[in-house]
Amino acid sequence: MGLFDKLAGWLGLKKKEVNVLCLGLDNSGKTTIINQLKPSNAQAQDIVPTIGFSIEKFRTSSLSFTVFDMSGQGRYRNLWEHYYKEGQAIIFVIDSGDKLRMVVAKEELDTLLNHPDIKHRRIPILFFANKMDLRDALSAVKVSQLLCLENIKDKPWHICASDAVKGEGLQEGVDWLQDQIRAMKT
Amino acid sequence: MSSVSQELKDTSVASSKWLDAHYDPVANLYTFSSCIALSDLHGDGENKLVVGDLGTGVCHMKLKVYRGTGLLSESTLLDLPTGLVSFLMDLHEPRTPAIAVASGPFIYVYKNLRPYFKFTLPSLEVNPLELDVWSQAREDMIDPMTLKEMLEGLRDKAEIPLSVRSLRFLMLEPQEMESFVHLYKEQPIRRQTVITCIGTLKKNMADDDAVSCLVIGTENGDVYILDPEAFTILYKMSLPSTATLMDVTGQFDVEFRITVACRNGNIYILRRDSPKPKYCIELSSHPVGLVRMGKNVVVGCTDETLHGYTQKGKKLWTAYLPAPVTTMALMDLPTRGFQAVLVGLANCEVHMYRDKNLISTIKTPDVVTSICFGRYGREDGTLIMTTKGGGLIVKILKRTAVFDDRDSAPGPPIAQSIRLNVPKKTKLYVDQTLRERENAVAMHRAFQMDLSRLRLAAARAYVKALESSLAPMSASLTEPLKMNAVVQGLGPSFKLTLNIQNTAASRPVMNLAISFLYDESLYSMRTAFFKIPLLVPGLNYPIDTFVECLSDKGISDIIKVFVLREGKSAPLLTAHINMPVSEGLALN
Repeated sequence: MGLFDKLAGWLGLKKKEVNVLCLGLDNSGKTTIINQLKPSNAQAQDIVPTIGFSIEKFRTSSLSFTVFDMSGQGRYRNLWEHYYKEGQAIIFVIDSGDKLRMVVAKEELDTLLNHPDIKHRRIPILFFANKMDLRDALSAVKVSQLLCLENIKDKPWHICASDAVKGEGLQEGVDWLQDQIRAMKT
Repeated sequence: MSSVSQELKDTSVASSKWLDAHYDPVANLYTFSSCIALSDLHGDGENKLVVGDLGTGVCHMKLKVYRGTGLLSESTLLDLPTGLVSFLMDLHEPRTPAIAVASGPFIYVYKNLRPYFKFTLPSLEVNPLELDVWSQAREDMIDPMTLKEMLEGLRDKAEIPLSVRSLRFLMLEPQEMESFVHLYKEQPIRRQTVITCIGTLKKNMADDDAVSCLVIGTENGDVYILDPEAFTILYKMSLPSTATLMDVTGQFDVEFRITVACRNGNIYILRRDSPKPKYCIELSSHPVGLVRMGKNVVVGCTDETLHGYTQKGKKLWTAYLPAPVTTMALMDLPTRGFQAVLVGLANCEVHMYRDKNLISTIKTPDVVTSICFGRYGREDGTLIMTTKGGGLIVKILKRTAVFDDRDSAPGPPIAQSIRLNVPKKTKLYVDQTLRERENAVAMHRAFQMDLSRLRLAAARAYVKALESSLAPMSASLTEPLKMNAVVQGLGPSFKLTLNIQNTAASRPVMNLAISFLYDESLYSMRTAFFKIPLLVPGLNYPIDTFVECLSDKGISDIIKVFVLREGKSAPLLTAHINMPVSEGLALN
């Protein structure tokens, strides 16, 4: 790092770069959430199912996020683990309206937490209990119960209810994530 | 409830191939595999579960649609459903499939979950004599008793069976007949058959979203193929018996194959361009489940067996099951290229077979009466089962689950079924067997002769040994002696212990001596001659001596021991001692 870069960092002009993985089952709203977090002039109008993965960037007050928006379809889920090493934080999105597939989300989460690249790292995990606008959606507390989140003892985690279409609840989650990452870095 | 879910959890951990997505033991769902379908009813990419619920069998027949874990809609059915299929009937956008429910002689077609069309089976020909008899009754020319007698005569002889009305009339008590005749005599007689099974057949394209025809089997042994839009009969075929289970493959305009299990215990295979069955499989017992897997047909029978047949009716294999079959379904995962047959058993298990190999077992809390595997919601590998007690079980296949092809059923090891590579009979072998067959008597005689000679030679050698006392047992009556020798040590010096015993009953033996004979260049002995003291009968006398091996070349020899009587040159007994190789170095 050059002297100028350091200086810029001290003055807060240059923001720190963070790699974040966005995971979750298909149709849970990962791409919609990332889309909402982007500046309004860069937002896409219609969201289509992600194939493979896509890389998105957005900034918050102090950090510059690079998000790996992974596809949630069953046949692409085996790609996730190849990106675990690079990820400094994880966003895990759950469709709170899909009670049937909660077990599948739990299974994928357990596989993620037991992966050697994740298991012994203290990386923050942010859960979005998405689609809160649905009539029969489960509450964030219920979702965290069904996923047995209380068993995650060695990583900081946070769950917040969200409605990605309207953008509700997203900022709260991202603020928490930002605090965690800053706490880790210093 | 909590204990049941705990039990489910345990079994899932044991198998660990399935995730327990949902279990409702009181879903109040009573149905069979033929009345259950998965379909994207609203064209939103999310498959719903459509169930024709039999209710109690008398009332509460319902068409139920489930979305996720909840009931989406429910509509009453007029009669017991015998089959339910989901099919695309036209090319209009959006492509939403219709539901066809067969019950009685009708097919009720639902679109967007609303009644859309009702198809009625064509009525059958009525016996003209029966018509005649009833017209006479209408004009009061005959009384009910005569009507009964005439109808009974018709029932026993006629080629065309009686209508339902006449059959019911014959069942009545005499006092009820009058009113029955009055009530029905004005109405025309109709003979109607009912639908026993239903299937779908793609019209002219093999795509997943192609338009499909309905295929129905009826009680009087006919099979009809219906046009998907106009519901006219496109093709009619007849079977020797009533169809109970049906599997359809192919396309109507190109080539198709309908495999039908019938009530007479046979399976018939119908093909395009032949109104009669092409092939027939005669089963040893009645079929209860029929599944086509690729080009083969798998049939579950009432005698607790599962058979595999080719599509031409050749039997491939038989598997024996631990309990009676309740239902069967195909498990097809095209994304992984995996196919298996799911067999529900009466012992609360679901077995998964690939060919004749049992590859997995699922334990269920109740007896499963219907199985359906496919895409439910957005999940491809979903297994839906309903139970005898009206429960609904939904399991999801794990993404990481792998099934190994090995047979997990206990039984003989695989090595036992590997054929040995036995070489063919050579010409030499054949010639020898021929020769043996022709000269059997001569060969037997030659063998007996040689055997006698061998015995003679053996007897001679034995006598000679006895005469010259070469054996370690003395044969003489005056001095019955026994001796054995033990060699101890690694070498070059060995300890030689001779155990001598007098085996006589009471007489002691005296004046004996022992002498050794050995190669003096190899061994040296401290004392090569002993005198033996008086031998009391029955006691064991150990006599020690030391042998020194002189050679360090690792060779050994025999040392002969003679027991002699004083004044006689012939030994009483002889022992040969095989000396061990000296392992130590010679000291000098």
